Amino acid sequence: MQPMIKVENLTKRYAGVTALNGLSFEVQRGEIVGFLGPNGAGKSTTMRILTGFIPASSGRVTVAGCDVFEESLEVRRHVGYMPENNPLYTDMRVYEYLKFRAKLKGLSRADRHERTDEVLAMCGLTDVRTRIIGQLSKGYRQRVGLADALLAEPDLLILDEPTIGLDPVQIRQVRQLIKDLGKQHTILLSTHILPEVEMTCDRVIIIHHGRILASDTPENLTKTLQAGGAIRVEVRGPVADVEAKLRAVEGVASVRTTPGADGFVSVEISPKTDADPREPIYRTCVANGWTLRELTRTRTTLEDIFVQITREEDEADEERRERRRSMLR
Amino acid sequence: MRNVPALLRRELSAYFASVLGYVVLMFFLIVMGVTFAVVVNFLSSRGPTQMTAMVILFRMFWLPALVVIPAITMRLLAEEKRAGTLEMLMTAPVTDFEVVLAKWLGAVVLYALMWGLTVFYVLILKHFSGGTAVLDLGPIAAGYIGVLVIGQFLIALGLLSSSLTKNQVAAALMSFALIFLCVIVLNWLSFLFQGGVMGSICRAVSAFEHIEDFGRGIVDLRPLVLYGIGTAVALFITTRAVESRKWR
Repeated sequence: MQPMIKVENLTKRYAGVTALNGLSFEVQRGEIVGFLGPNGAGKSTTMRILTGFIPASSGRVTVAGCDVFEESLEVRRHVGYMPENNPLYTDMRVYEYLKFRAKLKGLSRADRHERTDEVLAMCGLTDVRTRIIGQLSKGYRQRVGLADALLAEPDLLILDEPTIGLDPVQIRQVRQLIKDLGKQHTILLSTHILPEVEMTCDRVIIIHHGRILASDTPENLTKTLQAGGAIRVEVRGPVADVEAKLRAVEGVASVRTTPGADGFVSVEISPKTDADPREPIYRTCVANGWTLRELTRTRTTLEDIFVQITREEDEADEERRERRRSMLR
Repeated sequence: MRNVPALLRRELSAYFASVLGYVVLMFFLIVMGVTFAVVVNFLSSRGPTQMTAMVILFRMFWLPALVVIPAITMRLLAEEKRAGTLEMLMTAPVTDFEVVLAKWLGAVVLYALMWGLTVFYVLILKHFSGGTAVLDLGPIAAGYIGVLVIGQFLIALGLLSSSLTKNQVAAALMSFALIFLCVIVLNWLSFLFQGGVMGSICRAVSAFEHIEDFGRGIVDLRPLVLYGIGTAVALFITTRAVESRKWR
């Protein structure tokens, strides 16, 4: 089966600025994919190209098998899009707006009625259906945007920062809604909030400076980087002894000790790649009669990965620039 | 063109969902009402003249046009661009031209509605002329056609201005300047170059000359074609300007 989204070598240049630099990725049917990147990474630009709002400078993009540039209208019929900041006609009433959008999306008169009521219920908007959009809270407006994206039962939902500016309760509601929708739709959402991706997405694409840095499931990304995750140990014992004996444990790469005031020593252990020396550490402590108060592996969050990857990238950039500068001199 | 009715309905409801539509009608009725009263008073205090009240009123079309048309067209595209709603609109399965056409039509309908209210003046004239003078409805109908034909072109110019900027005030000033050039300045030029070839060219395209003819009941095909082409060109450029996001 053809993928829902296929992006090949996508490049977008604005006057003097390269927003996207050779982006390639695929999204399969039924996937929920999170687009992750700092502000200005190129997330919104990619989404605007996918929805046919702006064209690419070069590269090929197909949605549901249709070229986004050649068959733009056809692509738009397949896509439900919620742009960044969720722009709406603030002078219209909720149901009025949705009916108008349903008409534009080509729903028949009978469907229009039914679908509007359906999405109103789905997004929890039934109580505010006669309110003017401009008078609604941000959370409700966000839901109006979502309801609009859902109207034509699109194969693909593209949501640009769907939870931005919401309060924690609303964020949770929107995330739950997205998760539920993921059962029937393919979803591509962008965000720079990491827990969001961890919670809702099957796959994460990390994008920075218009390039893809990583693309994997949140678990795999975490696992790959967790291999280097530190182990924290707190034991009561002589500092020098603790350090020497723990260093000797198999699978331990390095040990750093900090004596505490209460007689306990906190130890920071970096394990070797792919090793998990927690059990031997425990046995060593028992064999020496040290009291063990803590033994934890610090979980690498997506946030760490994200910061790490983007930082490595920036440092590499900086290095290249430095080299170029020195060559010019 | 499938989406034009839906878009047009949205445009019309937007005028009357905000105060804009009502303020525009109020402004127009005050200006034209006072003008009408003064004209009738003036005409009835003198003997028979060649002018009728409605012809004078039609010749006053430039006054509301200069103010009202920038006011009703300035927000059409500028606001959509500034608020980002253009992105919503253009990612729905509608073409750029459908959007432009619906916006132009919406403003034209409002403008027609506005002038439509002056039909009451005709009824007032008919009632109070008391049979002493016969009201000739033909030239009056032709006058309305003239006002509408010129107005729809000026609205296309206003829409064009609105498509060039995100700033509504800038759009309003731009369309004011364009309307001023097309109506007032052309008229001055035709006086300036009186007699020469330039003068006759300016007179041929001057809106004041056209409205005079229409007011006398002459529905000439030439101004109709002129304004039709003008509107087509303006709407074409507007569509291009909306599309410009794609090649900028």
